[in-house]
Amino acid sequence: MARMKFICDTERCIECNGCVTACKNENEVPWGVNRRRVVTVNDGIIGQEKSVSVSCMHCTDAPCMAVCPVDCFYRTDEGVVLHDKDICIGCGYCSLACPFGAPQFLSKGAFGVRSKMDKCTFCNGGPEENGSVEEFEKYGRNRLSEGKLPLCAEMCSTKALIAGDSEVITSIFTNRVTTREKNGHYPGSEAFGWSTAYGGPGTPGPTPTPGAQVPGAK
Amino acid sequence: MKCNFKLLGLCLAALTLLLACSEPPEIAAKASKRPDMAPYMGANDGFMTKDWTPGNRESWIDALNKRNENQNEYARLK
Repeated sequence: MARMKFICDTERCIECNGCVTACKNENEVPWGVNRRRVVTVNDGIIGQEKSVSVSCMHCTDAPCMAVCPVDCFYRTDEGVVLHDKDICIGCGYCSLACPFGAPQFLSKGAFGVRSKMDKCTFCNGGPEENGSVEEFEKYGRNRLSEGKLPLCAEMCSTKALIAGDSEVITSIFTNRVTTREKNGHYPGSEAFGWSTAYGGPGTPGPTPTPGAQVPGAK
Repeated sequence: MKCNFKLLGLCLAALTLLLACSEPPEIAAKASKRPDMAPYMGANDGFMTKDWTPGNRESWIDALNKRNENQNEYARLK
C-alpha cells in the first residue's frame, strides 16, 4: 500500500530553491504564499551549514487535523493530508499547531484579514474532480492522479528532496547513508522531520541497512 | 386552561428559536465534507502518463514506484 511521504537529505540540499520555484509555478501559488521553502541553519559556519526544504510533511497523526474547529481536513488512502477550502474559515489554528509551519494564509487586506488556508497538497489537489479547472484554481495541480510525483521532488537537481511511497524513498535514503558510511564520511542519517511527522517524539528515523547488504553501494 | 395556553405559547416560542438555529440544507451540504476521488482513478486533463491503467490501483502504484526510482541515482547509473 502506497503511503506518500517526503524525505529531505540535508547532506545534499544546496539551497538552490528549485523546489520552491517548481511548486509555485506548477500550482500557480499566489504572491505571498510559499507552500515550500528552504531553511538554512548555521549560516556561514564551515562544515555546519545545513539547508532543508520544508513543507507540509503529511503527518501520520496530523496536529492540524486535531485542532481544526470546522474539521476541514481529511487524509487520503495514500496518507496525504488534504483540506477542503469550502469548509475552511481561515482561523489559523492549524498554523499554530503545525510543527513545520506548513499552513499559509494570504493577507487580503487591512486589519489582518486572511484568506482560507493554503498548503502543500503533495500535488494531489483537493475534493474537486481530479484534474478539473475548479481543483486547479483552488488547490493546484493533481499530479498523483496523472501518474506523477510532486514536482518539487522530481525537479530537485541534487535529489536531496525525495517524495513517494515511504518504503521506496526510505530504501533510496538508506542506500545513500550506507554508501557514505562505507566511504568513511559522516553518514547524515537524520532524515529531517521524519520522527516528528510519522511517529511522534522519540521515534527513531529510518534505520540504515548495513552496507554489505545493499547492492550497488560503493 | 389558562395555564395550558401559557405552556403552548412557551412551546411555540421554543420551537421558533430552535428553527432559527438550524441552517438551510444547501448551506449544510456545502459545509460538509465531500468524498475525494482516488488518484488512481486518473485525471481527465490530457496530462496523464501512459504506463498505467486508470482505475487499477496496482498498476498506478507500480508506475509511481518505477518513477520513484528516477530519484535513485544508484539505480540510474547501473
